[in-house]
Amino acid sequence: MIGGEIKVEKINKSFGNFQVLKDINLQIKKGEFFSLLGPSGCGKTTLLRIIAGFEYPSDGILYLDGKDILGVPSNKRHVNTVFQNYALFPHLTVFENVAFPLRLKKYKESEIKKKVEEYLDLVRLNSHKKKYPSQLSGGQKQRVSIARALINEPSVLLLDEPLSALDAKLRQQLLIELDTIHDKVGITFVYVTHDQQEALSVSDRIAVMKDGVILQIGTPYEIYESPVNMFVADFIGESNLTTGKVVSVNEDKIVKINTEEHGELYTYLDKPVQVGDTLKVTIRPEKIRIATKKPENIPPNTNVLVGYVDELIYTGSETSYFVKIAQKNVFRVFKQHIVYFMDENPIKWKDEVYIWWYANDGFTVEVTK
Amino acid sequence: MKIFKKKNYGQIYTAPLMFWITVFFVIPILIIFVFSFLKKSYTGGVLPQFSLDAYGALANPQFVKVVLKTLFISIVASIFTVLLAIPTSYYIARSKYKDILLFLIIIPFWTNFLIRIYAWIAILGNNGFVNNFLINIGLIEEHVQLLYNQWAVIIVIVYAYLPFAILPLYSTIEKFDFSLLEAARDLGATKFQSIMKVMIPNIKPGITTAVLFTFIPAFGNYAIPEIVGGKDSVMVGNIIANQLRVVRNWPLSASISVVLTVLTTIGVLLFVQLNKSKTDEIRKIKEDV
Ligand SMILES: Nc1ncnc2c1ncn2[C@@H]1O[C@H](COP(=O)(O)OP(=O)(O)OP(=O)(O)O)[C@@H](O)[C@H]1O
Ligand SMILES: [Mg+2]
Repeated sequence: MIGGEIKVEKINKSFGNFQVLKDINLQIKKGEFFSLLGPSGCGKTTLLRIIAGFEYPSDGILYLDGKDILGVPSNKRHVNTVFQNYALFPHLTVFENVAFPLRLKKYKESEIKKKVEEYLDLVRLNSHKKKYPSQLSGGQKQRVSIARALINEPSVLLLDEPLSALDAKLRQQLLIELDTIHDKVGITFVYVTHDQQEALSVSDRIAVMKDGVILQIGTPYEIYESPVNMFVADFIGESNLTTGKVVSVNEDKIVKINTEEHGELYTYLDKPVQVGDTLKVTIRPEKIRIATKKPENIPPNTNVLVGYVDELIYTGSETSYFVKIAQKNVFRVFKQHIVYFMDENPIKWKDEVYIWWYANDGFTVEVTK
Repeated sequence: MKIFKKKNYGQIYTAPLMFWITVFFVIPILIIFVFSFLKKSYTGGVLPQFSLDAYGALANPQFVKVVLKTLFISIVASIFTVLLAIPTSYYIARSKYKDILLFLIIIPFWTNFLIRIYAWIAILGNNGFVNNFLINIGLIEEHVQLLYNQWAVIIVIVYAYLPFAILPLYSTIEKFDFSLLEAARDLGATKFQSIMKVMIPNIKPGITTAVLFTFIPAFGNYAIPEIVGGKDSVMVGNIIANQLRVVRNWPLSASISVVLTVLTTIGVLLFVQLNKSKTDEIRKIKEDV
């Protein structure tokens, strides 16, 4: 199968007086695994429904492979949808659900059988083909709906939070399966989710949305490492925030800022700033080191703070520490347990600790003059 | 209080209902059943003698014709009723004003059934609304006879039992997951195909109930053909009434009633069975798993 290329141009959508989508521009490449990520109510489903043809934009143009498809009804678009609630036909067996699109096209019985079995194999459900949807588990239902959506050989598959009704373990497993299916069929996937972990782990590119606006489009790496603003930084993963005024600018794009809570800190900067500008800087918790002893032999431009452990959460593979600095600001720090059992004196609650990070690991998200 | 053992409570609670059903339902049916096997008395009642005369009289081709006519009218009326009721209930179920619309459906019940039938004389009569309207717009010149034929009977049956079809259909359509229609459209179905292949099979229980709620009262109807029907629309109910009140052949009217009841029961059981086979299939598979 060949993936389709989607181009969304200046799409707006209002329900009554309420504007749900504001000037959306997107270009999704052939065969891409593209995610729409954003909090609840930001308009992800609405955008997906416009692409599917269930909803019509107030204005704007939608192209599929260069052709304006807004006038094409949903049953004629080479786009299929995997619905959040599965939307399986309860009166049909698994086999018949998957065969539904083929029967509409009046395929021959032998062709139907061959093709349905092929797609049921793809989602590993051939042994359940005689069951009715009510007899399937959530994960199996979702697999049926994936097979059913793929059997038409669409050029784009739309998935609206397909895993949100499943438990964490199964979600993980199905996500990997989806990724495998994507690699196998090679068509374009547009994946809607509000789970940043999901989006980061499988997407080629992600569009982060908020209140009907696309804030940033980029690879998972770009979105995580260089968020365009505070919202994206905060929404994707965890981050520590600090604000300060520029004191001096270095040759190596290192600036020294003066923060209210922690005094002077160094941070990396790729935007032009002047002395006196206010910067908002985020530091990812996994980039901060933590120890009970004062670090030695640290490179220049390293930020070192002292505080105490206000809270700690052990999650098996790592521990996250909430370190309170100067009775005010709390820094979140992740420590992977690579050698945990060998730690002679593990960090305990209320311990005094040193935390430090390199200037390069701070990322400036906002500059105000 | 040893008498009130736990398991007896149910019987105690249902006693009034059992009494009601026995006195007003079972006993009258038994009386009709017994009367149908008795001899007719010339004064109008029955003689306590066993006889199959009443059933013998049923072999009359005239009577068979009436039964077939009754079947025809009831089936046609049921089909029209359900065909009208499905889109109506669909519309109500998807409307913002469900409550008001349902209320409007129920309003006619506030008026007496007979008066509502007589109202149709004012609508379809020679000087009625429809005739006058057609004359006024110049479509016809003379009054046409719309009343006193089988189509008038069918129209009024459809009118009278439409709410009984709408209500059960509404309650199943309301529970229907409309996103399935979107899924069907997404997979390539036209609007019409999505309704026929996805909605109709899923609201089948409602359709079954609607058909039964129309067909049963239509099949045994007496008042509607009596008031708006003519020579071509004599139904079994009219024959029973006629035998009972005019000819005063009680055993014959009883035997016709018995036949009517048995026919309806068989019909209903067959119909329900046909529609149930699917659900049974599902259950069987469930047990296998
Ligand atoms: N048919 C509609 N009529 C009116 N408002 C609507 C309609 N559909 C969606 N909305 C509104 O549009 C906004 C965006 O809805 P949408 O379903 O696209 O959000 P979402 O990003 O998919 O959220 P979630 O993650 O909760 O699914 C919401 O505020 C919602 O209330
Ligand atoms: Mg949504």
